[in-house]
Amino acid sequence: MEARERLTEAQINEDLLGPTLRTPRWFWPVAGFLASVVLAGAVSFGLMINRGLGLTGLNRPVMWGAFITTFVFWVGISHAGVMISSILRLAQAEWRRPVTRAAELLTVFALSTAALFPLIHVGRPWRLMYWFLPYDFPRMVWPNVRSPLIWDPAAIFTYLTGASLFVFIALLPDFALARDRTRGWRHKLYSVVSLGFRGSLRQWKLQAIAGILLSALILPVFVSVHSIVSWDFAVAMSVEGWHATIFAPYFVIGAVHSGVAAVVTIMALMLWLFGWKRYIRSEHFDSLGKLELAVGIGWFYFFFLEFVFGMVSLEGAELALKDMQMFQWPWSLLFGIFIVTAFFIPIPLWMFRRVRRSILAMFLISISVNIGMWFERFLIIVPGLARKQPFAFTWGSYAPQPVELIIVAASFALVLLGLLLFTRLFPPIPIYDMKEGQVLHKDIKVGRSTVPGIARE
Amino acid sequence: MASHAHHVELDPARVARDGLAPTLAGGLRFFTAARILGGLFAVGIVGFVLRLSGGFEDRTAWGYYAALFSFLLTTAGSAPFVAIGLRLTRADWRRPIARAAELFGVVGLLLLLMFIPLLYLIPSAEGRRTIWFGLAGAPHLWDTLAVVLLVVCGLLMLYASAVPDLATARDASPPGPRRSVFAWLAGRWRGSARQWALQRGALTLLGAFYFTLLVLVQTLLSTDFAVSLVPGWKDPLFPTYQALTGFQAAVATVVLAMVVLRWVGYKDYLGVDPFWGLAKVLLALSLLWFYFWFSGLIVLWYGRQPVEENILKLFWFGPYLPLFLATFVLNFVGPLLVLMWNPLRRSMVGPAIASAMVIVGVFLDRVRFFVGAFSVEEAGHALEHVPPAHLPDGIDLMLLVGGVGGALFIYVMATRLVPVLSIWEIREGLLLRARSALVKLEVLVLGKPVRGG
Repeated sequence: MEARERLTEAQINEDLLGPTLRTPRWFWPVAGFLASVVLAGAVSFGLMINRGLGLTGLNRPVMWGAFITTFVFWVGISHAGVMISSILRLAQAEWRRPVTRAAELLTVFALSTAALFPLIHVGRPWRLMYWFLPYDFPRMVWPNVRSPLIWDPAAIFTYLTGASLFVFIALLPDFALARDRTRGWRHKLYSVVSLGFRGSLRQWKLQAIAGILLSALILPVFVSVHSIVSWDFAVAMSVEGWHATIFAPYFVIGAVHSGVAAVVTIMALMLWLFGWKRYIRSEHFDSLGKLELAVGIGWFYFFFLEFVFGMVSLEGAELALKDMQMFQWPWSLLFGIFIVTAFFIPIPLWMFRRVRRSILAMFLISISVNIGMWFERFLIIVPGLARKQPFAFTWGSYAPQPVELIIVAASFALVLLGLLLFTRLFPPIPIYDMKEGQVLHKDIKVGRSTVPGIARE
Repeated sequence: MASHAHHVELDPARVARDGLAPTLAGGLRFFTAARILGGLFAVGIVGFVLRLSGGFEDRTAWGYYAALFSFLLTTAGSAPFVAIGLRLTRADWRRPIARAAELFGVVGLLLLLMFIPLLYLIPSAEGRRTIWFGLAGAPHLWDTLAVVLLVVCGLLMLYASAVPDLATARDASPPGPRRSVFAWLAGRWRGSARQWALQRGALTLLGAFYFTLLVLVQTLLSTDFAVSLVPGWKDPLFPTYQALTGFQAAVATVVLAMVVLRWVGYKDYLGVDPFWGLAKVLLALSLLWFYFWFSGLIVLWYGRQPVEENILKLFWFGPYLPLFLATFVLNFVGPLLVLMWNPLRRSMVGPAIASAMVIVGVFLDRVRFFVGAFSVEEAGHALEHVPPAHLPDGIDLMLLVGGVGGALFIYVMATRLVPVLSIWEIREGLLLRARSALVKLEVLVLGKPVRGG
């Protein structure tokens, strides 16, 4: 815990609500650029619907490619919100305060974006309803509830609902604060969404209980989402390398690895764009770095076991798959990028306190992790499918085509645009939580020195 | 210190006095416990000699011995993890329990001795499907190295933590051989700023090593002494499941140790707070245990590949089905039902009941996997024949009773040398707390020193 500046409530209001109520100069150019990339993605998607999936690199046997990889990637990123908010809140970690909302928002926008990808991937999105709606009663045609394709939407929409509620409950006091400081349409908007919050003792108590309850309830949902995504693969017997008992926890810890890295990225961007030096400090990056160090090493342990056990039985097909992933061009290059950027760059660097406290270094490392984690998913999905068939003449390959690359790029722009637009309407750092931190922060005297402390109970 | 709800005023002098009392004076309870546990240990040694007289050819006969080894590693061997984890997260309520947890490191000496016969029981990796892929010396050399390193690291960590208290014992004990021993062990400790900084650095480093080695040893043992003995069993989740069960059992072991410490007179130190804190961790680990348990089972069950059918029968739905079900109840359902209720979680009885269930569950789980794996006599690609359940004989019971008794005997004996309360940590806690006014309330303020400050 770092000795920190004492801030008044008025200062906190001004600093954290200011960028929401006044548009920064850089805002519209950046939003415009992101919107144009999203538009390019939408046009590509339209073209793909019009011309068919032949525009993509998907083929038989590689019927899952960049879209499904990106779907898994965004579901993974969405794990940051609960990891940071829920667990740190239950553990009463003080450094969580400026980080939680950004993490929760990332969950909501990443998950919403992820949910688009199965729709995009099928090429005929309206046919998706056949997967999970009972559509043909007279002929007794029902969705197959034993299929992971049913489990996925159930898990994702439960998580999205829970995460949205989580964000909303935490926003209530800040809505009320904004309501009392605005006029016109903003005042009307904040009046509606603040649900009459006046800061009475009972309201605070209810808000706190709801927050704790949601924190605890959402944890199993958080774990289930990526586990179910992993079982999309693990229950498919015919693909070498997918049928592994470790897949569920391996996917979850990988998701946390990439999700927490994404939170670091967003925190650094918020600090630079809004100039919140007094709120997002190097101690927060230090703590996130320590968390990432533990998660990253844990993730590597799971990766190692998955990889080694894949080869234990010395089955020819499994060995051929590993050989392809590691030694055959261009997969070997992708494997190299993956393992270096997701593990060998970040882990040794995070061991140094100076690196963890450097915002630029943490920002660059967080991007490196997510480059690696995207390739990790790509390398799980594509080579397995390419070698799915037993005969060499039925093997396939895959290279993403321009429409796929544009849509994938648009998904990144979409998440960033969502976050950016959110900051125009609502504060991205929980103002009430920062104030609570200030109140609970007390110095104590130990001998001749003063030690920062925190009030409990 | 004790609990926030339990306002017992402690001062540094009293902490030193109370902490050193059992170490310096022993007492009737100590000698009674030492005699009983020593007797049990002797029974175990007799059982071991009897088992040894049968030779190593019949691996099935050693199944319970392997299960016992894994059980002790999972409970006593893993217990120092509690001190490491709580120190790293700087939980204030860890102070009265940290030493009790890391003192379990001395049980490593027994584990080291028990490991030697196991080396004669696992076949060489040559011609078998193992995780070693022909590495020279595998698995015997590397497994031994890992176990030795774990034990040495545990002892070093205990020593690094105990040095300030050994110096206190040196200064408090009357002249005589015991004082000389404390003086020798305490070395040149005078409590200078440099020595404190070194001690903290050593604790962090050794803690990180111990944690890593613990996971490594669990991984190696579960693969070499279980997975690779059963043809066709390919379960990458199993080592992580074993390690996770170790963390759950570690917490349960420390909770039960706290119950005993309260009974021997440390009620003022062990209030509700440490029980409550560990209960939350135990609840989280029990939920996580279920997740790992389910994840492993669902993929095998859903897949039902021909090669996996007999594996499922052997460990889950065949001769060991009662143990499988009992484990599920004792490691998950029971702790969940007890600890999900606030009043029970925030008590001493609730965590103690849940911990007792977890310890029994872990033991049965180890029997299921290790006795099951040791009873397989086939080699090859797939398990063709599911062996029947191997029930314990008289010698096995002697080994089990003696093994647990021996571990506790070593622990109890170690308390005569190392204070079971971390005196310096409790004193530090007294310095870093103050009462302060917050609006109309008086609250407890916990200091969190800035590094280097």
